[in-house]
Amino acid sequence: MANYFNTLPLREQLAQLAKCRFMDSSEFADGVEALKGKKMVVIGCGAQGLNQGLNLRDSGLDVSYALRPEAIAQKRQSWKNATENGFVVGTYEELIPTADVVLNLTPDKQHTPVVKAVMPLMKEGACLSYSHGFNIVEEGMQIREDLTVIMVAPKCPGSEVRAEYVRGFGVPTLIAVHEDNDPKGEGLALAKAYAVGTGGHKAGVLMSSFIAEVKSDLMGEQTILCGMLQTGSILCFDKMVEEGIDAGYASRLIQYGWETITEALKYGGVTNMLDRLSNPAKIKAFDLSEELKVIMRPLYNKHQDDIISGHFSQTMMEDWANDDKNLLQWRADTAETNFEKTPAGDVEISEQEFFDNGILMVAMVKAGVELAFETMTAAGIIAESAYYESLHETPLIANTIARKKLYEMNATISDTAEYGCYLYNHACVPLLADFMKDIKTDVIGKGLSVEDNGVDNARLIEVNKALRSHPVEAVGAVLRGHMADMKKIV
Amino acid sequence: MDTAIRLVDLSVNFDERFHLNNINWTIESNQHWVITGTNGAGKSALVAVLAGVGDIENGTVTCLPKNVGLVSFEAQAELIAKELKKDDADIMDVISLGTPVHEMIFENCQDPELAHALVEKFGLTKLLDRAFRKLSTGETRKVMLIRALSSKPDLLILDEPFDGLDADTLAMLQAHLASIIDTTPMILVLNRFDEMPTFITHVAYVDKGELALTVDKKDESAFNELYQLLHLKTTDLQVPEADPANTLPALDPNQPLVRLNQATIKYGDTVIVDKLDWTIERGQHWQLSGPNGSGKTGVLSLITGDHPQCYTNDIFVFGFQRGNGESIWQIKQFIGYVSTALQWEYRVSTSCKNVIISGFYDSIGMYSKSTDNQKKIADQWLALLGMADRADQPFNKLSYGDQRLLLIARAMVKHPPLLILDEPCLGLDDMNRQLVLALIEKICEGKETTVLYVNHHAEDQIKGIENYLGLKKN
Repeated sequence: MANYFNTLPLREQLAQLAKCRFMDSSEFADGVEALKGKKMVVIGCGAQGLNQGLNLRDSGLDVSYALRPEAIAQKRQSWKNATENGFVVGTYEELIPTADVVLNLTPDKQHTPVVKAVMPLMKEGACLSYSHGFNIVEEGMQIREDLTVIMVAPKCPGSEVRAEYVRGFGVPTLIAVHEDNDPKGEGLALAKAYAVGTGGHKAGVLMSSFIAEVKSDLMGEQTILCGMLQTGSILCFDKMVEEGIDAGYASRLIQYGWETITEALKYGGVTNMLDRLSNPAKIKAFDLSEELKVIMRPLYNKHQDDIISGHFSQTMMEDWANDDKNLLQWRADTAETNFEKTPAGDVEISEQEFFDNGILMVAMVKAGVELAFETMTAAGIIAESAYYESLHETPLIANTIARKKLYEMNATISDTAEYGCYLYNHACVPLLADFMKDIKTDVIGKGLSVEDNGVDNARLIEVNKALRSHPVEAVGAVLRGHMADMKKIV
Repeated sequence: MDTAIRLVDLSVNFDERFHLNNINWTIESNQHWVITGTNGAGKSALVAVLAGVGDIENGTVTCLPKNVGLVSFEAQAELIAKELKKDDADIMDVISLGTPVHEMIFENCQDPELAHALVEKFGLTKLLDRAFRKLSTGETRKVMLIRALSSKPDLLILDEPFDGLDADTLAMLQAHLASIIDTTPMILVLNRFDEMPTFITHVAYVDKGELALTVDKKDESAFNELYQLLHLKTTDLQVPEADPANTLPALDPNQPLVRLNQATIKYGDTVIVDKLDWTIERGQHWQLSGPNGSGKTGVLSLITGDHPQCYTNDIFVFGFQRGNGESIWQIKQFIGYVSTALQWEYRVSTSCKNVIISGFYDSIGMYSKSTDNQKKIADQWLALLGMADRADQPFNKLSYGDQRLLLIARAMVKHPPLLILDEPCLGLDDMNRQLVLALIEKICEGKETTVLYVNHHAEDQIKGIENYLGLKKN
């Protein structure tokens, strides 16, 4: 199989990368009609598979689960998940031939064998749905011509997909139609109905393409979302301990600090995150982030280039084929870092203190978000996609670190994201070695020790202007406006 | 020396007309109490016990002071009746004028100086020579008050003393009471909290012949809850109407609301509910009870659609045979639901008003714009709950009991055909239990909602429920 993206002409590559549109709620007026009475068969009954299935069934749709014979025979967890929830469970042979829509909700790594097994069993003219486009775009899976191929990707973990639905809401969702496989022109209608069935339409739906989804998703998750937070955690922790700050305090500041500062990011973008700092601290954070951007830009470029060229997916797939040797080694290494091994101390840190004593962390988030956004848009990804895959998702990942440090983050994200995260981390830690030498506790651990908060007016105006005029802020303001309209009272 | 008046496990019979039961109450000599409760709850009976009225059937009263000054409608009526009897006992063949006012006031007076001063203040000087029984009701009440106040009582009991007094007299009386608080313990029976003098230290709440609650006024939150309870019990406000814009699909009157046929819930080999048949007809209120683990909540969630195994059972609800393409929102629109679990899940930081409005959408939190009418109805509910001043406060900052009240209002706001109250008093203290039950009784007065009430105690019973289903632990 060849990398699908690389088979396209440049013109088409650019057109696909540039696809991303925030859909209006009026576009979902037909509800689940397009899927009513159709047989939906889910493959895989993990967190996404089970919870999406529960939502779809509660929306009045016909859902059953196809599992591998050994999962059924051995009554594995996936079998238990499906049967205890009252779903019909059967083998691929039993259920796939009856399916109007097959929902492939297995991990990326299994897509090739799963799709190869399923495709011959699918009935003429049925629909195959993905929640991530890696298999189509990077692995170049060719799908039978008569089949419709769509993607519906809720942008949250499976448990949240369910919890929000039960509350009467949903989670932001990305949908796409694989244009090479839309023989009856019904792909969009099916994807929209599917998004309604999971409740996604209430929280906002982005209409994108398989290519834009894959290339932006990979870039975001391995750089700012996971990579930057992992690298930042390790560097900041080691620096604080080296400078004599209590390890328990340092551990707490980082574990919960990302969550706190990115909460400000979620509500009001990079500008608001920086506005939480005092004026001298804001200028300090700004200067540090400018420095970081210069140092890290080549790395962001390399990640984006390797993602666009397919080099990244190729090396990762080689590791898959090599029994995940790199991935497992890196996972073990992370567990052994001092940050991971030091439990958060029993000290109270106020919400504001996370900002005041975490100036470097704020600078790292700003640098990472802006670099990822700039790099993605420079590669032809439209600003909306770039915003969602950088700034928008950062708080989600930060939450996982607050829960159980880097272990939880890496356990929650996909293997693909985890692999990219380690690649980034391995390159970024040495890259920032010199920069970190000059870092003192005034920007990480203790906060600025200034006589008063006076700053130069001209400099402050300059910094504020730079913050507010960054393109990620412009698109962010518009998209957050849409979201706020939909989720009026959160 | 311990001078506290103690009522221990006391039961009192008032000529078989009324009973007080299980009264446990201690009144310290430096305390001033207000007794509240609804009409007929037993407030006056309780204070009458302190004046020696009623037959004690059980328990003890200790350290009851000898000289109790009592002013009440009952005592007033008794005194007037006695006066009228004098007239009937006309053996001297002269027209009896009855006892003159000055005799009524000064015959057993312990403090004539005070009595004179009070006569002046109450404006009775000109009436001193008139016959007591010729006075108006308000005037006899004043005479009663002067008698009690000038008798140097060890305990002063005033049952609704402020009723029918004009503003000046009221202020004068209040000021006088305030001036004797150091020497005279007082117990006032009041229907309205806003008449409560500031020197009051404790409040008791009487309900159905029992001393249901006692609250130290220093405990502000308990005091406020009691205030709210009294409001709910005595308010003339009715349960707000449904929103006419929010019309439900019509239900077939010949079909039951709910029909479970051989309903079964099991996890692996563990059977929680085994082949349960249950039909709920419209207007048929039910109580469902059973021990923990007997599957009460499971059965409910089969009805509400929250249990995934509702798709593997034969369930008919609100015109839908489950598992035929209906969505859970089509089911939920017919149901109002309250449970402890819902309260735990309701963690969104939204205003009290929005919590009530969310009942129109069956959502936890608000994700749609509310209409003006929905807001108006929510305000009416808040007024009913005595929480109008908290409309915009964040829900998650409220007390546990207040949250529960709001969630009940949320469940009822759309006047659902079926209201499910799953252990609505669970986790609540006495006060809040009373509050919740008061609200539920208010709701049950309405006709169009069928109530399904779940608990595992027998004590929290609700008027009007006649059907019982008991589940056993499997």
